[in-house]
Amino acid sequence: MTTVASNGKAVTNKKTFSRETAVSIDIQSDKSIIWALLTNATDFPRWNSTILSIVGSIGKGEKIKLKAKLDPKREFKLTVKEFDHESKLVWGDAMGSRVYTLKTIGNNLTNFSMVEKIGGPLFPLFAKMIPPFDEAFEQFAKDLKKEAETITKTN
Amino acid sequence: MTIDQFTKEFESARSQLKSYLLRITASIDDSEDIIQDTFIKASLKLDTFRAESSVKTWIFTIASNIAKDNLRAKKRWPETVTDICREKALTNPDYFPEIAKLMQSSQQTEFEIKEHITFCLTCIAKSLPLEQQICLLLKEIYDFKVAEISEILETTEAMVKYYLHTSRSKMVSIYEGRCALINKEGTCHQCSELNGIFNPKQNFEVEKNKIEFAKKANDPNREQLLDLRFKIMKEIDPFKSKGAILQLHHIQHNRQIMEEFFEKNEN
Repeated sequence: MTTVASNGKAVTNKKTFSRETAVSIDIQSDKSIIWALLTNATDFPRWNSTILSIVGSIGKGEKIKLKAKLDPKREFKLTVKEFDHESKLVWGDAMGSRVYTLKTIGNNLTNFSMVEKIGGPLFPLFAKMIPPFDEAFEQFAKDLKKEAETITKTN
Repeated sequence: MTIDQFTKEFESARSQLKSYLLRITASIDDSEDIIQDTFIKASLKLDTFRAESSVKTWIFTIASNIAKDNLRAKKRWPETVTDICREKALTNPDYFPEIAKLMQSSQQTEFEIKEHITFCLTCIAKSLPLEQQICLLLKEIYDFKVAEISEILETTEAMVKYYLHTSRSKMVSIYEGRCALINKEGTCHQCSELNGIFNPKQNFEVEKNKIEFAKKANDPNREQLLDLRFKIMKEIDPFKSKGAILQLHHIQHNRQIMEEFFEKNEN
């Protein structure tokens, strides 16, 4: 899996049969707040400018329907593949998976990372049709950091 | 702590507890039952009270747990609760005669705009997830601190902050889309409608402009407008206010309509 610096900059590794984009950022917030933000489906569009809607419940084995700003006409039908409380969340389909990871790295300081790998034997045929994720990943991380840190400052 | 000391503390918290439970349950009977159960439960567990929190926080913890158990299986109200209940009231031939009777038999029927704002806030807050509604009321109306709410809800301070932030955002968004007092495009005019019914001699515009948040409708800071609503609610005890009889009637009316609404939609 791609390793990236925790600076909110996305990195993409392209291979013949796959493509992987990753971003990582440190957030001055408790893991539970970030986890709550990442697992409350209906609340996503309020704070995350890259997501238009998520329908369904984000829980282990659940199916969700996601619409993203990057490709607004398309509805992604995804399954929540892993759901480790306040630690790891994975959703995806047959094409690939997105992995969210949270790690406590200090007092009220959490490292957030998001990695998406897409690919398969037919990947070279449609690779050019999939837009780059870098900008959307950076915005996602930025929005999450801003929202979590705002909540953390609540008195 | 002796039972006498506890009883004294309980009595001093009773009034706030009662209005809090009414706003959570929308039922006088349920709130009174929960108060009774809270007193009994706390009295039996007095020896477990370690004074790590205030007695008031402890009482609210027990009451909130009982309320949560009672409400767990019940559906949350839709954001359009006031529209649904308005329609039902208008098509119920007994509704207005019932209100007229109440107005003749009691003095606590001065249902002015502040009373309606409080009633509306109570109903709209019931569209929030239960934990968020509880957090919001405890913080904004009953002045509990984040640390105390985390004890009451038996969760982390971080989660309380999350609940508070998301519930406030949701309330701002609901009012922005609906309330004609703060948004000319708003679809809900019940304040003016009810004022016309209960206070036909009053000029609604004049009355409205006496309300701080209506005066500040153009203030882009919608969070501040929400705070002003909370300020109004804080000043009104639903059991003792000048419009208490109608406040209680309307809240219970809406609860009954909501129960029928969910029952009908389940079948």
